[in-house]
This record gives sequence, C-alpha cells and structure tokens, in this order.
Amino acid sequence: MAEKLIGADIAPPDLHAKITGRAKFAEDFRAPGMVFAKLLLSPMPHARVRSMDTSRALAMPGVIGILTADDVPAREGPREACLTNEPKYEGEPVLAVAAVDEETAAAAIEEIEIDFEPLPFVVDPLESLRPSGPNAYTEGNQFSGEDGWSQLKWTAADFALIDAGRMPNPTAPIEWTKGDPEAAFAESSLVLEEVIVHQSLTHHPMEPRSNMAYWENGRLFAFVSTQSTQQTKFALAGALDMDPEDITLVAEFCGGGFGSKISGSTVMQIPALFSRKIGRPVMLRITRYEENYVGRARPGFQSWLKMGFLPNGKCNAIDLILVEDGGPYGSGDNGTAGMTADLTYTPRNMRFRAASMYTNTPPKAAQRGPGGAQIIAMMEPILDKAARELGMDRLEIRRINAPGPDVTFGPRDTTLTSVHAREALDQGAQMFDWAGKQALSGQRNGSKVTGLGIGLSPYTAGSRGRDGLMLIRPDGRLYVHQGIGNLGTHSIADTARPAAELLGLDWDDVTIVWGDSSKGMPRSTVQAGSQTTHAHTRANHAAGMDALRKVRQIAAATLGGAASAYSVDGGRVRGPGGSMTFAQVAQRAIAMGGEYDGHVLPEDIHAQTVPAAQMLAGQGLMGVARDNYGGEGSIYSWVAGFAMIELDHDTGVVDIKEFVGVTDCGTVLHPRSLGAQVLGGCIQGIGMAMTQRWVFDPQWGVPFANRLYTARPPGFLDIPLNARWGAVGIADPTSPVGAKGIGEPPVGAGAAALACAVADAMGGVCLCRTPLTPDIILAELEGRVAAHGRLDQHVG
Amino acid sequence: MAKIRDMIPAFELLQPTTIEAAIDLLDEHRSGAWVLAGGLDSFDWFKDRIKRPSAVIDLGGIPELTGIRDAEGGLEIGAMTTLTSIVRHPRIRSEYSIVADAAEHVATPQIRNQGTMGGNLAQDTRCWYYRSGWPCYRAGGNTCYASAPQAMNREHCIMGRSRCVAVNPSDTAPALIAVDAKMIVENTSGPKVYDAEDFFIGPSIDITRMTVMKPRDLLTRVHIPAAWANAEFYYEKVRDRGSWDFQLVSIAAAFRMSGGTIEEARIAVNGVAPYPVRLDAVERLVAGTSGDEATANRAGDLAIAGARALRHNDYKIPMMRNLVRRAVGSVA
Amino acid sequence: MGQEETVGVSEHSFTRRTFIKGVIATGATTSSAGYLFRGSSLLGAATYQTATERLITLTVNGQARRVDVLPHETLAMTLRYKLGLTGTKLGCDRAECGACTVLIDGVNQYGCSMLTHQVRGRSVTTIEGLENPDTGELSVVQKAVMEEGGFQCAFCAPGFIMSMEALIAENPNPTREEAAHALSGNLCRCADYHKILNCAMRAAELARAV
Repeated sequence: MAEKLIGADIAPPDLHAKITGRAKFAEDFRAPGMVFAKLLLSPMPHARVRSMDTSRALAMPGVIGILTADDVPAREGPREACLTNEPKYEGEPVLAVAAVDEETAAAAIEEIEIDFEPLPFVVDPLESLRPSGPNAYTEGNQFSGEDGWSQLKWTAADFALIDAGRMPNPTAPIEWTKGDPEAAFAESSLVLEEVIVHQSLTHHPMEPRSNMAYWENGRLFAFVSTQSTQQTKFALAGALDMDPEDITLVAEFCGGGFGSKISGSTVMQIPALFSRKIGRPVMLRITRYEENYVGRARPGFQSWLKMGFLPNGKCNAIDLILVEDGGPYGSGDNGTAGMTADLTYTPRNMRFRAASMYTNTPPKAAQRGPGGAQIIAMMEPILDKAARELGMDRLEIRRINAPGPDVTFGPRDTTLTSVHAREALDQGAQMFDWAGKQALSGQRNGSKVTGLGIGLSPYTAGSRGRDGLMLIRPDGRLYVHQGIGNLGTHSIADTARPAAELLGLDWDDVTIVWGDSSKGMPRSTVQAGSQTTHAHTRANHAAGMDALRKVRQIAAATLGGAASAYSVDGGRVRGPGGSMTFAQVAQRAIAMGGEYDGHVLPEDIHAQTVPAAQMLAGQGLMGVARDNYGGEGSIYSWVAGFAMIELDHDTGVVDIKEFVGVTDCGTVLHPRSLGAQVLGGCIQGIGMAMTQRWVFDPQWGVPFANRLYTARPPGFLDIPLNARWGAVGIADPTSPVGAKGIGEPPVGAGAAALACAVADAMGGVCLCRTPLTPDIILAELEGRVAAHGRLDQHVG
Repeated sequence: MAKIRDMIPAFELLQPTTIEAAIDLLDEHRSGAWVLAGGLDSFDWFKDRIKRPSAVIDLGGIPELTGIRDAEGGLEIGAMTTLTSIVRHPRIRSEYSIVADAAEHVATPQIRNQGTMGGNLAQDTRCWYYRSGWPCYRAGGNTCYASAPQAMNREHCIMGRSRCVAVNPSDTAPALIAVDAKMIVENTSGPKVYDAEDFFIGPSIDITRMTVMKPRDLLTRVHIPAAWANAEFYYEKVRDRGSWDFQLVSIAAAFRMSGGTIEEARIAVNGVAPYPVRLDAVERLVAGTSGDEATANRAGDLAIAGARALRHNDYKIPMMRNLVRRAVGSVA
Repeated sequence: MGQEETVGVSEHSFTRRTFIKGVIATGATTSSAGYLFRGSSLLGAATYQTATERLITLTVNGQARRVDVLPHETLAMTLRYKLGLTGTKLGCDRAECGACTVLIDGVNQYGCSMLTHQVRGRSVTTIEGLENPDTGELSVVQKAVMEEGGFQCAFCAPGFIMSMEALIAENPNPTREEAAHALSGNLCRCADYHKILNCAMRAAELARAV
C-alpha cells in the first residue's frame, strides 16, 4: 500500500540544495561575458530631470553602456516604468550604467552630472487631502482610466473635525453601504468612535530583487527572483511587449517575497532591456539599501472607525473611513480591509469609505494579508474595548461576532465555502488556557504587568480553474510540472501530493519539475492571496485523475477487461488481466499517442498551458486537465492568535511570554510546513505591530528606516521561543482535497493578539496605532504629551 | 556628482604588525588614514562612500593589541580584544561582570566575535542624518538637521547638546565609566591616559569627534583598576529590538556597599547625550543611603534635572529617570 | 599563510617598522570568475593611489585557493564572485542579517563585513565546506535540518547553519534560550524561527551522540 501523503511531514525535495549552498538564487547565476549594472537613484522625493551629462562616465575605461528612461517602455499616468526622468520617490531608479565590474559602474555613476528640478511632494497621505495640501503628481492626486487626473480635497469642515480628533464626513472615491448604519447606531447600546493609524512598512525579503538577463538569437533568458514562475514569464513579456514564448524564465528559488515579488519585480526589466542594448549579459545586484526603495511596502492607513454593539456584545453597525498610503503608483488594500471588517464582525449594517492617496514614498504592494492584516490589527483592540465596556469576556465577544457558514459580507454579499472561525477560537483558547489565564491579566510583578490578547484574522485562501500538467515517463516515475514559484512555502512539492496519492505512488517515485519555463509549465496562479495550496491541489488532483484514467485505460487495452476494474498501487496497475508497471504504461502511452502521450490535449485547458503540453508530448503518459471542480463562494482561511506578554511600565518594553496560533485552513497537507506558516506569519504580524517601522522626514520627504537595523524586522530575541500552533483540520467541502491556503491570515492574528495584549497590560488603554514601540507606550504610561499627532503617519 | 552607495572605494591597505609601526603609519598618513579595528562601523562608512580614506590601517595583525592581562591588581584589555573574549573572560565575569554584561548587549554574536573593545568605544554616532551623508555640523557643515522642528529624532539626545543632538551609541562605554576605567591613547609623542568619562567628548569640545582621539592617535588598551572589583553592579539596556539594536537608553552602575549602605557609587547613562553621561550628583546623593525607594526616586528625579526633549524623544526623560531609580533601587 | 611575506621596508620613514606587504599581482591570476573587481585597477588614478593588488592564497573549506584580491574587497565578494562559492548569501551586505555568515577559524562572522586580506592565513569555512568532500555525508547540523524539514525560502539557511555549527562546537548542550541567543545574529524574514530552533536543538542532540 502506498504511503499516505496528505497530512504527512515530508521535507521538500529542494531542501538538500538549500542547506548545502547548491540552491541557485537569481544572483548566483553567471553567464560568459556578464557585466554589472548599477542604478542611479533619485535623491529627491519628486523631481524632474532637466538635463544630464553622462559623457565623463561613458568615457571611463570599463564602462560598457548606459540605459536611461528613453530606452525603456514609458508608462502613462500613475504607472511604474523601470527607469524614469520624473522620479516620484527618493530612491526611484533614474538610469543604469553597465561596466565590467560593479566598482567601475559605481564610480561611473558618480561621474554623471544630473540637474534635477525639485517638484512639490507629499509623504503623508492625509496631507494630500487638505484643502491646500500638496499632491504627489503635478497633475493631481487621483487618477482614473476614463477621466484621467483629478484632485480630491476634503473640506475645511472635514478637517475641522479631523483636527479636533473627530470623525469627518467626507466624500470618498470608494464607498459602499449595506443595511442602515445610522438606524443601527441609534439602536446600539454601545457606540465606540476611534481614530486609528496603521503604519506602512517595507517587505524586506531576505533576498533583494537582484536579477540577471541575456539574449541569444532573439530569445531572452531571464534569471529573476519571483513568487510565481509561470505567470512572471507573461508579466515580463507584457512589460517588454514581446512574445512570451521567446522568453526562458529561470526562477528556481525565491528568497522571500511576501507579496513584493508576485510577478517578479519592475527592476527585472532593466537587465533584460540593458542586455539587449549592449549585447552582453547583465547582472543587476540589488543591495539592501536599494531594496528599501525599489522593493515594496505595505500601505498604511489613517482611519476613523465607529462601531456599534448590542448589549450581548454583537456588533450591529460599522462606519469605517480609511485613507490609504498609495505610494507613487497606487494601492488598493482598502478594499480587502473593508471586506475583512464586515466578515470578521458581521455587523449587517456597514458604511465603508476609502481614499487611496498617491504619495512620494516607495511603491506599495500587497504584503502578506494585504488590507486584512492592517484592519484586524486596528480593530481587534477596539473589540476588546467594547468587551470591557460591556463587561464581557474577550473570547466570548469574538465568538459572538465571528461568522457562521451562512455569512454574507462585503458590498456584493459574498459567501464562503466553509468557515470554522469559532472552532479555531475554541481550540486556541483551550491550548492557551484562556480561561485559566484570566487571573493573570493585569497582574503586576514589580514594574512588569501581564497582558493577554486574542487576534482573529481571516483572509482569502484559494481560487479555481487552474491547470495541472504531469507525465509518467518510461522510467516509471511521475513528473509533476509546477508553474507556481518556489518562494519557501513548500507548495511546489506539497500541492503535487494529491496526484501522487491518486496514482498510488510513493513520494520517492515523484519528481517535481519547477523553476524554469523551458521545462514546460501549466497555467498557474500568481502566488498571491494564498491561492496556491487550494488552486493547485485541485489542479494537480484533476490532472492526476486524468492520468489515472489513462493508466487504467491503457492497462485495460493492453491486458484486457474493463478500465474501471484496474487499480494502482506502488507504481503498478493491476486488474483482471494482470498487472503492468508504470514504466510499461508510459511506453504504451507513447506508442498509443493521441491524448495518452499529450499529442491530443483537452479543449478546455488554458492557452498558456498548450505550448508547455505540446513540448512534453510524446515523452510519456500525460496527465493534463483544468480544474473543473467548481464550487460556490469565496475561499477563506482563519487564524486565531493568543498572546501573553509582560509590559515593563518603567521602560515600555514588551516581552512576549507565550503564543498560540490555531488555523482553520481545511485539510492539513503538510503539518510541519503549516506550523511554520502559522507561526512565521504570526511573528511577521508581531513585527508589524511592534518592532518594525517606516520613518520619513516630512520636511525633506526622505525615509530613514532604510536599513535592516533601522527598519527592525523581528529577530530571535524578539519572539516567543515556545510558541505553539494547531489546526482545526476540517476539510473544505468544495475541493476534492479539502485544503485551503494559509499564508495571509496569521499576520493579522499575530499583530492583533499582540496589540490587544499590550492594551490589556495598560489597563485597557488602546494606543490605536502601530508600531507599539517603547517610546509611545512609555509616553502614554507616564502621562507625557505624545510626540506625534493622533493621525501622524510615517513617524515610526 | 550623482550619489551611489554599497561599493567600497579603493584604498591602500596597510597591515602593521606592531603598535609602533601602526603609530608611525598614522603619523605619516594623518587625516588620510583610517584605523580599522573590527571594522563594523568603518565598513558602513566605506560602503556608503561617505568616508574615503586613502590609507586604511588594519590593526588585526598586531598581537600586542589583543588579549586581557592582569595589571596592577586590575585588568588590562587590549584594544583589539573581541567583545566575545571580554564576555567569556573568567575574571571579567566574576569581578567586573558589568563589563561582560555590557559587551554581551552589543548587537549580535557575529559582531561580538569580530567587534573589538576599542572599536566599540571609538565608534561614531548613529544619527541617521549624519550617517546619510548630510552636510550637518558634525560633518563639517553649518546646520543640524536632526533638531529641525519636524525632524525625526526619537533616538537623539535630551542633554549635552551643542548644535549637534546625536548620541553616543556604545554599550560598553557606560560600564567602563562605572568601573573607573582608564583609556590609554598613544601617538608618536608617547602614551596618554584618560579617565573613561573624559575619553568621550561632546560637540562643545569638538563637534566632529566622539572621543579625545585625533587623527594621529591610537587607543591601545583599557585599564580597569582593582578599586571596583566585585562591587554591586547594575546594567540595563533598553532597545527597540532584542536582536541587533543600539540603546534607546542604557545605564551602568557600580555600588561599593558596606553592610546595607552604599559607600560609593558610579552611575553612567548612555543614549541620552552625545557622550555617555556620568551622574556625579546622583552618585553623591545615594552615597550613605541604602538605595531605598525614596532615595531611588530622588536619584531618578535628580538625574533628569535639566533634560530637554526634542520633538520625538520626550520619552527618554522618564525612561532615564526610571532606569536610574531601578539601578539605585537594585541594591536595596 | 598565503603568498604574502613580512618584510622590512627601508624607504621614506618606514625604516623602523615592520608591516605586511603583499606581492603585487601581475595578472597571473587564476580567477577567471573574477567579474566583480576585474576592471578596478583602471580606477586607481580616478580616486586615490590604490594599494597593490595581491595574489594571495586563502584556505577555504580545507583547500588552498589562489586568488587575486583587491585591498578593499570583502570576503563575501571574493567567495561569491571569485571562488564560485555562491552558497554564502548577501542579504544586506551590512552585518545586519547574517546570510553571509562563515566560520573563520571556527568562529562565526559576517563575510560581508571583513576584508579578504584580513583572513589570509586563517581557515575559512563556508556552507559548501560542511559536507564530507569524499562521501558527500552531511554535517550533523545539516542532517538535523533535513530531519526537521528546516527553513522556508532558505535564503538565510546557509548563514543560520554556519551559526549552528559554531553554536554546537561551543556549547553542545544548549537550552532553547541559549540556542536562540547564539543564533540571534541571523535574520529569517519568513520568521520560521520556531523550526530553526528545533533544527539547532536537534543538531546539538546529534552532535552529542557522535
């Protein structure tokens, strides 16, 4: 009997390469004749190049060439080009110089004379809404495809309220209402009105977005760092306006992305364009300092929240206004934020307004739990406040408000395939001993006060309709071709498990093919929104079913009897006519041709899968299929986080003593890897709420937390060493595998549990901002005047 | 000239094998020379292409600069001794544990394995305006960006400002002040001995330097006298992040006790001024007391007398007061 | 020691002292992969009188490697771009993330933040040097990581593993807190700290059993 793969701890097949130094990340590739590019970054938050003199640089021995904005595809409106003559944030790449070595390239950059005309800039999104506030673009601060540029300003009356610490009543480009919030607030027994700020913060994956490229006979070979291999090939083709089938994209390993490398990066265009221009392979090594700029950042929010509650703790109305830091090229985290608020607290009456404002700060992008993580970190402490006012247990108020299976949420009454948020809360409460620990809440030991907190966090966790592609080759092994990227979640291996199980194979008989588009990749998801596990267990299940059908049919055709009477196990197919090895089946498939070896393909597979399948045709038995399992409703996973901290009232320092994270993410595919996702995501959230920061000097518009030691992602001494995790483990009924994604929701859970625990250790005082650093905690505890305004953004 | 970072500009690397040779090289190259100890501060400056010495004098090959020796009943720590060696040294751990404690709070294991006693004491400030190459007073310009009305200065000073508001970042500095250490600085004119607290200078003395050392000087060793061996010590460093961080405020205190009474105290605080601050008045206040709560409170209040916040660092005032209270109260 | 020699220099005011002077590289370098600094001698006139280029011998993973190293070149760059040892990663190049951690005479240090000329005559171990060169057998740390399914994206893995090697050599019986402290100079942005700590504890266990 073949081993059970789903639910087993199996190390991914690339682990050996990762721990011996053999794993090649983008910067580890070399090509003959390779030269090095260095970037000239904008020294100002918003400027226009009036003139430049590159003659001295180009005359330097060893300098090969220069790539300027004139050499790269221009982008209209607020869209990002890889090089620009009108930089919109400090650090935006203006030009690149290639030389035989980096040192020459760097020295050449210093020889370039550029005259920048400084332009007005804005780093605080709210400032751009003030009646006479600055705009990030000379053309305005709002853009729409139909109407072009416009200017959105709130009224003096709005700002009179804002500056008085009250909720304004502004017009907003994004607005939806459901139910009757005003009537519901009137019926509420408790209405809380809060001003909350969530910081922006850089992703800072360990691997900066270095990449290398060269051309050979009109074909582009690109070595990039990306979360999603197959889709990145198409993204790069789109950016360069070329045929995707003329690109070989290599991305075997990705040193973290967290949303910042979903389809590679903008800077990956530079070596591609540069190498075409100069006829030499070009390596662009992105440094950490550069990554701070050209890497991405999570958009922060400035917000006003009104929340109404019935006497039993049920939230019956929400009024939420978000101002989002859109960076120079826009961001839409506010949409998921509004949806997440409605889903998590099920108010039935909600008004949502949002404005995403362009700012002259590094570009924003999805960051693990985009929108959701911020809003959960912002709203969970308010739920605690309601519980305190109503005299309720904080676990109970979450149970009461958490959605059940019949939930509808958001402006379009979205439904869910499955939801077990309450089960996650209950399991977490039991593991953490929430009830038993209540006595510790607020307990003082010298200057240290214990605080407890819970964070309940949902996020999207799947999608449907992708393709699976695999071969049983004449060596009898199953080769699962994965177009998804290898960003550290182990999903390149784990999502292949359903196919191997269907085919009765041991894991040792399975080879995962990934990381190189020339090897043949099916249409895949971008690895974002935690879609991969759900989408590709389904796609590989479908392709596995297709392979299984073909194996049985070949056995029946070869050995006699009905195909349905044949079964597979241990690399053999057995039935009334005897048995065959998979090696024999693969040979028969090639001999039979047609659909069996991929010469005839299903009509419903995606056009992007076809060339890959055609390339592999004739090499074995092909399993290829689209995920047609269907299903109604959105797919969401949940994490409930529980934290116990000690807050030192003398110093404002937080010490996390205990942490538990429990997830509802359907069937557990790979427990150890799931634990890493749950706890790793929670710790990222703890970093987001506590240690990390994003700091701008408002006068000069430049960032200062641009190094790791100033951006402060959490290290080993900032985390609980005995954290535990659990999973509800109830299969999602709409997937044949039952597994949902998990990447996103832990971030909000970790951040919120921490924020709630800090408030608990302060006697219920919610600071309503992140990061919760010792300075702002201590200022509050000591009754000092806060150093920042309530709505100040980017003050770290 | 456009700016770029992250490539070290070329320099001549000189690797003397004796102190004498190092001092001669310094004398020869003067302001063009840069002394490389562990290098962790230096490489930052080089990679930012802000400091561009013509000659880098690597002290790593001078055996006499490395090691911890018994000296005059106390200890002598060679300037090139790694912080890890200090953390692990049995006599430091038992008799001067505050020095080991402070050294162990520096950054990370790898940095302690390479960073040196001398480097930790002589390192430059971390003011991010200055470190970004902005032409401030300290960099030879005529303004201080960090004290501008809107400036981001939560990590800057609350006392001792004089045009510049940067703070000294050293973790070991206050501990060495607390044990009355002496710094031995040599140049071609011979050695000079400085009390630890005088080794560090503020901007009112010289705004471009953190210590008394001028371009031709070399810190060769630190002497820890026997006087404070086995005293009651208190060290605490408050930082944003447990891993790899400079202090927001740190405190080092030594108390010589007689029965339950403080006979004599040394208290130094860092992160609050451009130099580590010795709290003489507080030391006098607590002498003769038991470090009781009332004394500790008075000590805390006295410590912050005259402290003045910038826009974003008011929190340092109560933080410093609380740390002084805690340090004094630790002996009660 | 490498090819460098210690000589007395009798010119200018150098008469009384000794210092290490390297042999000038004359282009006889064996480093065909030396992309990064290849043209830098061209820059001497543009900046300062550069120090002499040197052809030195480094001991890396037990092998003597001849390599042309500029005075201002960091070890991580030499390893990655001249010796082909790309297992040592550059995550920050500023001694802040630990991805470049290597062992110098068995001690874990940041390869990005030391000059290659500072490790002449010392033994450098990189991630590539941990396997038994003859049998391919993994080190106990690597075995432990395999057993525990360690790391997510693993860009940090080589550096963490080198720090684990240093940890178990120094303290074969660490508590979880001690292990975390010893590994606190390495960052993991996936924040897979829990599993990494399990790997370290398992490595210590395996090392004790050897």
